[in-house]
Amino acid sequence: MENVTGEGISDQIERFQTQLQMDGRGRKHRILMVSDFFFPNFGGVESHIYYLSQCLLKLGHKVIVMTHAYGNRSGVRYVTGGLKVYYVPWKPFLMQNTLPTLFLTFPIVRTILIREKISVVHGHQAFSTLCHEALMHARTMGYKVVFTDHSLYGFADAGSIHMNKVLQFTLADIDQAICVSHTSKENTVLRSGISPEKVFMVPNAVDTAMFTPSPDRLSCDEIVIVVISRLVYRKGADLLVEVIPEVCRLFPKVRFIVGGDGPKRVRIEEMREKFSLQDRVEMLGAVPHAQVRSVLISGHIFLNSSLTEAFCIAILEAASCGLLTVSTRVGGVPEVLPDDMVVLAEPAPEDMVRAVRKAIDMLPGIDPQVMHLRMKKLYSWDDVAKRTEIVYDRAMQSPQTDLLERLPRYLRCGAWAGKLFCLVMIINYLLWCLLEYLQPTEGIEEVPDIRPVHARLESVDDTCETQGKGI
Amino acid sequence: MPGRQQAASETMEQERKGEVSIGMYTYNHNSDSGFDVHEIYVKRSRFWVLLSYIGMVFLLASVCQLYLSKEGLSTGSVWSIAFGILVAKCLQYKPVKKESVVIMPTFGVQLEIHFWSGRVHRRFVPIGKILKPLLNECVTPVTCYWSLALLLRDEEELRLVFQKSHPPVKMLVPVWKALCKFLNSGCQTSSAVSEPNRSET
Repeated sequence: MENVTGEGISDQIERFQTQLQMDGRGRKHRILMVSDFFFPNFGGVESHIYYLSQCLLKLGHKVIVMTHAYGNRSGVRYVTGGLKVYYVPWKPFLMQNTLPTLFLTFPIVRTILIREKISVVHGHQAFSTLCHEALMHARTMGYKVVFTDHSLYGFADAGSIHMNKVLQFTLADIDQAICVSHTSKENTVLRSGISPEKVFMVPNAVDTAMFTPSPDRLSCDEIVIVVISRLVYRKGADLLVEVIPEVCRLFPKVRFIVGGDGPKRVRIEEMREKFSLQDRVEMLGAVPHAQVRSVLISGHIFLNSSLTEAFCIAILEAASCGLLTVSTRVGGVPEVLPDDMVVLAEPAPEDMVRAVRKAIDMLPGIDPQVMHLRMKKLYSWDDVAKRTEIVYDRAMQSPQTDLLERLPRYLRCGAWAGKLFCLVMIINYLLWCLLEYLQPTEGIEEVPDIRPVHARLESVDDTCETQGKGI
Repeated sequence: MPGRQQAASETMEQERKGEVSIGMYTYNHNSDSGFDVHEIYVKRSRFWVLLSYIGMVFLLASVCQLYLSKEGLSTGSVWSIAFGILVAKCLQYKPVKKESVVIMPTFGVQLEIHFWSGRVHRRFVPIGKILKPLLNECVTPVTCYWSLALLLRDEEELRLVFQKSHPPVKMLVPVWKALCKFLNSGCQTSSAVSEPNRSET
C-alpha cells in the first residue's frame, strides 16, 4: 500500500525540483495539450486534461488546449482560469474522433505551435487520432513531446492489434510517456515496445472540494447501493444484470440506484421487469457531471463492475463522498484505494455478491467525513501537476535529434510497418519544408500572453509568473 | 551608409504619414476632411497574376483548337477545357485593391471594399447599432488569424470589418483603438487582447 498513500513522493518531488533548479532547468514551460476528448464532452480524460491544465497554470506555466469542434463550439474559447482552448473546426466522425488524415492537420498544428510559442506538446489518450497526428507533426518540427495513456488495451483482437501498431509508431520517437497506474504502464510498455525508463506513473486525482460527503449521516435501516457508469459491455453492465437480482434476494433492506445510459440499459430494465424489482432498482438515466455528487451522497455503497480499467476516477469520486466501494479486481483498480476503503472481487457474479455482503458488514465502521479527509490527503491535482512538471523537465533535457537520427527508431517497428512509418515521416518532413516555404515562420504572428485570471485575483507576490499583456 | 540613411528617412516619413507595410498589406491612416479613414491596401502578386493569365490563354487555346479542328467533341478536348477553367478559376488573383474603414463622427462607420476593376462596395453601420468592436482569433481547419469585428445590436452574427483580407494584428490594433475611442466604449487601450472575447464562436 506504500504506492497508494504516496509516502515519500513529496520528498522525491522536492529533491528533484531542487536538483533541477541547481542545474538551471526548472524553467516555465509552454504546453500544448492535444486530444480529441475535451469539454463539453465528459469523461476521465476530459477531467484529467482540464484539472491538470488548471494546476499547471497556477504553477506559472502557459497551457493551451487543442481539440476538435463540438457542434457550434468552434474557434478560440477561454475557460476558467484563463485556459485557452482551440476548438479546431474538424468534425468528429467516430466516437468523438476526428477522421485520421495523417497530413491534413499539419498546417493548423504548425500555426498553433508557432503562434503560441509552445515548448512541450502533451498528447492524451491512445484512441485520439488528433493526438497521434499532433505528436507526429511536433516531432517533425523538433518539439519535445509527452504522451499520456489513459486506458488498457488487449493484444489479440483486430482492433487492439491495429491500435497497438499506431501506438508503437507514436511512441517510437517520444521524449517521455505517462501512465495513470502501474498496470497501465506495464500494458503500454508491452503494447508499444517503449523503454520502461521513459514511462512515468502519475495517477489521476479527484476534486475533493466538488465531491464532499453529506453533512447528515445516512441511516443504515435501508442500504442504498449506487451504480454510476456508462451502461456498456466494458463497464460490466452484463455483470450487473446478474448481481443485482441476487443481492436483492439475499438482502431485503438493499435498494439500488443506477445512473448512466448506454446500449446495455435495455438489459438492466428487462432484468428489473423479470424479477419485479421496480421498487428496489431506480433507473436515473444519464446523469450530468454536476449532479453526480447529489446521486452519490444518497447511497452507502458504490458498486463498480468494470471489466477493464486503467485507473477509474469514479471510485475516487465515490470515496471522496464517503461511500464504501465494491469493485472488480481489474487493471489498475487495486492500486487506487487502501484496503479498508474498498472491497475487491473477481469479475464474476458470485464473487461480486460475496464482496457486497462483506461491504454491508463493514458499513457500521465507515465514517464518511474521515474517508473524505483521507482522500483529500491521498489525491490532489496539485500533486499530479508537480509530478507532470518533472516529466516536462525530463523531456526538455532529452537531446535534439534530426530526421536521419530518428528514422532508425521507426524502422525497428516491424518489417513492413517500419518502412511504412519511415515513409510517412519523410513525407511529413517534406510537407513541413513546403509549409515553411509557403508560409514562413516569421509570417505567423505570435499571440501576446494574457495574464491568468488567478494571477490577477491573487496578491502581487503570488508564485504564478506574471505574463506580459502588450502586443 | 547613405542607403541606410535613406531607408531610415523613408520609414520615418511613412510613420509620419501613418503608413505601415507588412508582407502583402499596407496600412494607411489619415484624418482629412473631418473623417477618420483607415485603409488596408492589398498588394497584387505578379506571380499569381501571370499564372492566372497563363490559365486564361490555355483555356482560349483549348476552345480555339476545338472549333478549328474538323473532328467532333473528344473526351480529351472536354478535359482540357475543364482543366483550363479550373486553372483560371483557382489562380484568379484576389481582385481587392484596398479595404477601408471610414469613421464618421456622430453618424457611424462606413466599411468599403475597393476592387481593381474600379467597383466599390460600401456598407454603412449607424453608430446606434454598434455595441462593441472586437479583436477575435479566428480558427479555420488549416490556419489561425486575427480579425476585427463589430458586435451589432439585434444581430446574431458579428460584422467583419475587413471581409476580403486578413491583415496582421499590428494593423488591426490602431483601427480597433480608433473604433473604441469613437464609440467611447471604455475599451482598454493598453492591449489589443487584454480582455479576450470569451463568447467567440
